[in-house]
Parts: sequence; structure tokens; C-alpha cells
Amino acid sequence: MPSQQELDLQISPLVQESLVHNSRTLHNLQSLTASLFGVGAGILGLESYSGFLFYLLFSLITTLLFYTLRIAPASISSSSSGTGASNKGGVLARYFRSPLDFWTAGLTNGLAGFILTWTLFYGLVRA
Amino acid sequence: MTLISKSITAFGSLLLAHACYSAQEHSALQSFRAATSAALTSTPTAATSLPIDIAIETVVAILVILIGLVLGTSPLRPIQWREWAGKIEREGEDGFKDNKGQVNRDYMGNPFDFIEGRPNFVDIRKQRKEFAEWVKSQGQQQK
Repeated sequence: MPSQQELDLQISPLVQESLVHNSRTLHNLQSLTASLFGVGAGILGLESYSGFLFYLLFSLITTLLFYTLRIAPASISSSSSGTGASNKGGVLARYFRSPLDFWTAGLTNGLAGFILTWTLFYGLVRA
Repeated sequence: MTLISKSITAFGSLLLAHACYSAQEHSALQSFRAATSAALTSTPTAATSLPIDIAIETVVAILVILIGLVLGTSPLRPIQWREWAGKIEREGEDGFKDNKGQVNRDYMGNPFDFIEGRPNFVDIRKQRKEFAEWVKSQGQQQK
């Protein structure tokens, strides 16, 4: 007897290429912006916890912006054409498998790049 | 779309570079002033933090670049098979272009194409009629 999840996948299959494409788009954006936040934190001269708080705040803003500019408009245009995009899981389920992954993956994706540019620009500005 | 995102990103980078240079100048000036005042009056001056306008400029620059980069991301694709196939059926290649207007490399065409070309469903009489007309027109042209 297959599990409920397997049955769901059988009934509504997923496209692997689209999954990979979407997560790669998000990943590229997040690793690019993380080093940008490092530049900002270095210029502001943040230290210890406030720097990580800065990163947390801005990566959340990134994800939020991505959501409002990329995901929300597409879902509005598709719901007018009559596809059932707003079934279970809502708008996000159209493009990403798990909402938790979408909101939190950015924190770990860019942390290394953030710390790299943070320390670099802190050293450059305060030298 | 891509021109808008690029110009926004470039403008933000300019702001960020200016903020970075300002912060660097400020810290250089601070250390210079500390050195001279220590030599002249021997009263320690408190190290002032970054001026508020540089801080604001940095944050605004980051937000502007952020908007530019988000606008520059390539459009997402539906992951549900039925929505994805429906999008191909409705929009064709137009729905799978990146920002430069090129069709993506992993776009593999309509998944239902093989159904259209099955030999059992070819209308052979219609094709024969078309062929006969073509032969006739060729014959008329040669006369």
C-alpha cells in the first residue's frame, strides 16, 4: 500500500526541470545578495550579533521581495485564466515544493559569502 | 525588463560605492584628527560612530540593488506537471524565455507532440488529396 505522499505524486506529478530551475534561480539571487549585505555590514561597521541580525533581516527582505515581485504577480495572472493555482498550499505551491524551505533556505545559502565580504569590507573601511 | 533591472542595479551600486568611499574617508579623517589632537592638546577625543547620512545611504543603496536584482531574476516555472504542460500548450516557446529573450536550453518542447504524429491518426485521404492537387499545380506550371 503506497503512502499518501506517493499517491499524491502519482496523481499530480511534478516536473523535475522546473523544480531545479526555480530553486536555482532563488539560490543564485540569495548568494549574490548575501555578499552585497556583507558589503553593507562592513561599511556600517557592525560587529558580532548586530551583523548577523542585519543579515537575518535583509535576507528575509530579499525573500519577501522575491515573493511579491516574482510569485504573486504570476499567480494573479494565472488565476484569471482559470487554472486552479489556489488549491491547497496556495500560491507558493505552484513554484516551490515546501514553503518552509522557500522562506528559510536563504539563511544558510549565503552565510559564508556574507561573512567573507563582511570581514573584507570591515577591514578595508576601518583600516 | 532587463534594462530596467540593470539600470536600477547600476544606480544602487553607484550609491553603495559612494557610501563605501565616504565611510572610508570618515574613518581616515577620524584617525587623523585623533592623532593631531593628541599631539596638540593631549585630551582624548571620543571616537564618533559613522554619520547617520552614510548609514542611511548604505541601507538605501542595498535596498535599491536588491530590487534591481530581484527584477532581473529569470521567470519561474510551474512545478505541477499539468500546469507546466498547459503553459507549454498555451504559450509555446514564449513562456520559456529568459531575460535575454532566448529560449532556455532545457526547454524540450510540447510533451504531447508524439500524440499529434502517431501514424494511426494520420488523415491519409486528406494527404492524398493535397498531394494530387500539388501534382496538378506542378503540371500546370510546366505547361
